[in-house]
Amino acid sequence: MKESKRMFLHYVSGLIILVTGFIHLVANNLPGIGTAIHESILYPLNLIILLSALLYHMLNGVRAILIELIPGRCAAKAITWIIFLVGIALYIYGLQVFLNLFWPVG
Amino acid sequence: MSTDKEVEVKFRVFRFNPKTDFVPRWQEYKVKVNKSTTVLDALLKIKEEQDPTLTIRYSCRQAVCGSCGMMINDRQMLACFTRVLELNSDVIKVAPLKNYRIIKDLVTDFSELFQKEKQVKPYIIRHDVEELLNPTGTYKQTEEELLGYIQFADCIECGMCSSACPVSATDPLYLGPMILNRAYRFISDPRDLGFEQRLEAIDSEHGCWRCHFAASCSAVCPKGVDPAKAIQLLRRALVKKGVLGISSSKKVELIPMGHVKGKLELPKGWE
Repeated sequence: MKESKRMFLHYVSGLIILVTGFIHLVANNLPGIGTAIHESILYPLNLIILLSALLYHMLNGVRAILIELIPGRCAAKAITWIIFLVGIALYIYGLQVFLNLFWPVG
Repeated sequence: MSTDKEVEVKFRVFRFNPKTDFVPRWQEYKVKVNKSTTVLDALLKIKEEQDPTLTIRYSCRQAVCGSCGMMINDRQMLACFTRVLELNSDVIKVAPLKNYRIIKDLVTDFSELFQKEKQVKPYIIRHDVEELLNPTGTYKQTEEELLGYIQFADCIECGMCSSACPVSATDPLYLGPMILNRAYRFISDPRDLGFEQRLEAIDSEHGCWRCHFAASCSAVCPKGVDPAKAIQLLRRALVKKGVLGISSSKKVELIPMGHVKGKLELPKGWE
């Protein structure tokens, strides 16, 4: 993936965090509309989208910092792959937590 | 009040010869300056009258060549364009530009910078090779098209922007504001068709996306080029073309000109 696409997704994920984070705060703190969101399918869906955007935004930020601090083209590729694998592992773990929380088996 | 009134100013000059010295040292000189004396004049006076071993690089003495960029009182400035008394300081601290290898004293090595610049192909790229080899006319440009890039074409390649850039200080592979500005200058030129050929360098891990927008480059530019703005515009161009797929079809009209073809016709009386 080209750097422009990665960074474009970084900006888009930042905006998604703002929106989904706001929905999450409303759902947890406001009676009325908050309770309605909390009890609907929107709440877990919003959390999953927030998790995806947050993980991408955070890990891409860490990747950018590491690329700057550890020079070398091979180092940049290695950092990108390591961060990608860490991201996948964290995402699977996060999804599993949500699935157990909202749709427990048995 | 006389404009030629001379004042004695103390200069603290960075001295270092990598071939003979283990560590750099600061050497002090006292120089009499007047209202019009520039830092370069004062350094040349030191070299002529006090210490011929002091090494400085300069050429045009009028802020056109960009050779005499250095740290003057901890800020990137052109020595030929900075008047000593305008600094309002009793001690003038002069050091080589940061983020570059020191050749000797105040002279820094730009070869790495110019090597990196080659990656962005800093020249107009066109596909009509036949027209380039045997020109029949001139490419038309509107005033608006010219205004779109003329500010960025004013760069004199003094390298002060890359010296002030905090990212260039930590990432040696980062292209830096000077080179990214050069890339945008040609990409935004309506005559240029080399956007794709420059992508590999500018859209890489060490390309324009590493800019933190500290804007130190624009703050120190002696020509008002604003490389920070060029980098943001470069990002916009990359997102538009590389991510959203919006391509601006550049079609430059060729104005046929008789005198361009073959031998140049000189005006009457010029022979």
